[in-house]
Amino acid sequence: MPEKALSRHREKQNNNLEEHMRLPPFQYLEPTNAEEALSIISSHKETVKIMAGGTDLVNRMKLRLIEPAFVMNIGKLRNLDGIDIGDTETVIGANTRLREVAGAPLVKKRFRAIAEAAFQVASSAITNMATVGGNILQNTRCLYYDQSGLVLNGLERCHKRGGNVCLAVKGSARCFSVYQGDMAPAFIAFDARCVLEKKGSTRTVSLPELFTGNGAAPLAIGADELLTKIIIPNPEGLYGSAYRKLRLRGSTDYPLASAAAFVSVAKDRKVTLCRLVIGAAGTAPKVIDRASPDADLEVIAQKAYELAEGVDNLLLPGAYRKKMVSVLARRAIKAAMDGIKEGV
Amino acid sequence: MKEMKKTALTLNVNRETYDVVSYPNRTLLEVLRDDLHLTGTKEGCGEGVCGSCTVLVNGMPVRSCLTLAVAVQGKEITTIEGLSAGEKLHPVQEAFVNHHAIQCGFCSPGMILTSYALLAENPSPTEKEIRRAISGNVCRCTGYAKIVEAVKSLAEKGR
Repeated sequence: MPEKALSRHREKQNNNLEEHMRLPPFQYLEPTNAEEALSIISSHKETVKIMAGGTDLVNRMKLRLIEPAFVMNIGKLRNLDGIDIGDTETVIGANTRLREVAGAPLVKKRFRAIAEAAFQVASSAITNMATVGGNILQNTRCLYYDQSGLVLNGLERCHKRGGNVCLAVKGSARCFSVYQGDMAPAFIAFDARCVLEKKGSTRTVSLPELFTGNGAAPLAIGADELLTKIIIPNPEGLYGSAYRKLRLRGSTDYPLASAAAFVSVAKDRKVTLCRLVIGAAGTAPKVIDRASPDADLEVIAQKAYELAEGVDNLLLPGAYRKKMVSVLARRAIKAAMDGIKEGV
Repeated sequence: MKEMKKTALTLNVNRETYDVVSYPNRTLLEVLRDDLHLTGTKEGCGEGVCGSCTVLVNGMPVRSCLTLAVAVQGKEITTIEGLSAGEKLHPVQEAFVNHHAIQCGFCSPGMILTSYALLAENPSPTEKEIRRAISGNVCRCTGYAKIVEAVKSLAEKGR
């Protein structure tokens, strides 16, 4: 290539790169209360994206994975945040910052897996911004999807981008993208429910119902609905919980495999319930419930291994991640049992 | 290109009020650097991983590359320029200089602000707490040892 053409080519490439660090255009909306927020999403539906902390959404916009016409910031709505520990249940507002959840002494004491999950999301500069609701409602991720247009332009359009191929599993008729939220497995271990509000109505669903299992459209929440709170029943008696996660960088990384465990025991220390939830092991968190007396650690770890999808679409090989899911399952259950204390 | 209207922003940066007219899709980092010319805040990865764009919002470290400028109106923003009193360096900055905790300097604004926020919250952190606090700030020169020493020297003073 002649030198002038080469320099023009380089300049164009640099402009492209520069452009990809910037956000696409949108109109900014900032409701002052929840009712106003519900009214906005009721009229704007799919054209509006909801931003709380922004740590996930802003990156997705930078990559041009989404280019919403409107961005609605709910981060300042104070009545959507806070932790309220009641007699029978605990309510965590969707806008509660992860740092608050990780550091709250009562959450650490009574819902250890939830505090551990929040602590392990990332370092404080992220968890000061990121919210519980935003973490739960993360989209699924895949090495062949979470890339800028510079990379994606050279790839065939996959299921998640509206095409009909899977680049991770050749010939697959479905999307194998991975749900990598940290909070949902921990909440599910505690049998949490969440409240979804829309203009004129409210519904409460168990957390697993939020996930469709379809990687291309992983979340079962309407465009006109707002996740407002998470309700956790306060466990009674003797119980413990723990969250374990595999990642490359301790300071900031999505889980490459994870496990949340909840174990309750009777007075004679016999296990009455062992609930394990595995994460980053498929398009949604997966639950393994085992009531005693057959709550055997190895049986559960084996089941976790079988349920985990080991696909080569994240930073570590799928076969390794699959094995690590069962390793983390064992560790989480053991840590939960070691930490068993009297509840409430 | 979708139509996008410019809006008037009022930002409180380093205890001063700035009026800026800007598009809503601009990050706090872009407005600080390009409009307010406060270029002490650095752009590294642009995706919230490296920590070089760290600033304080209401005293807490956040990623300015993932923060919309329009969303932090009414909050107190502190950048590295806001720490020193004129020519007199802030004790955290002084400690970084004295302990040779700066080499190329690119991570330093974020590293210093993160350390400043840590010490404000916990005046005598342990080494583990220091390492945890700065874990979201990547330094490719020092190997972190000198940075930890600098913060430790202040922690000891706080005891």
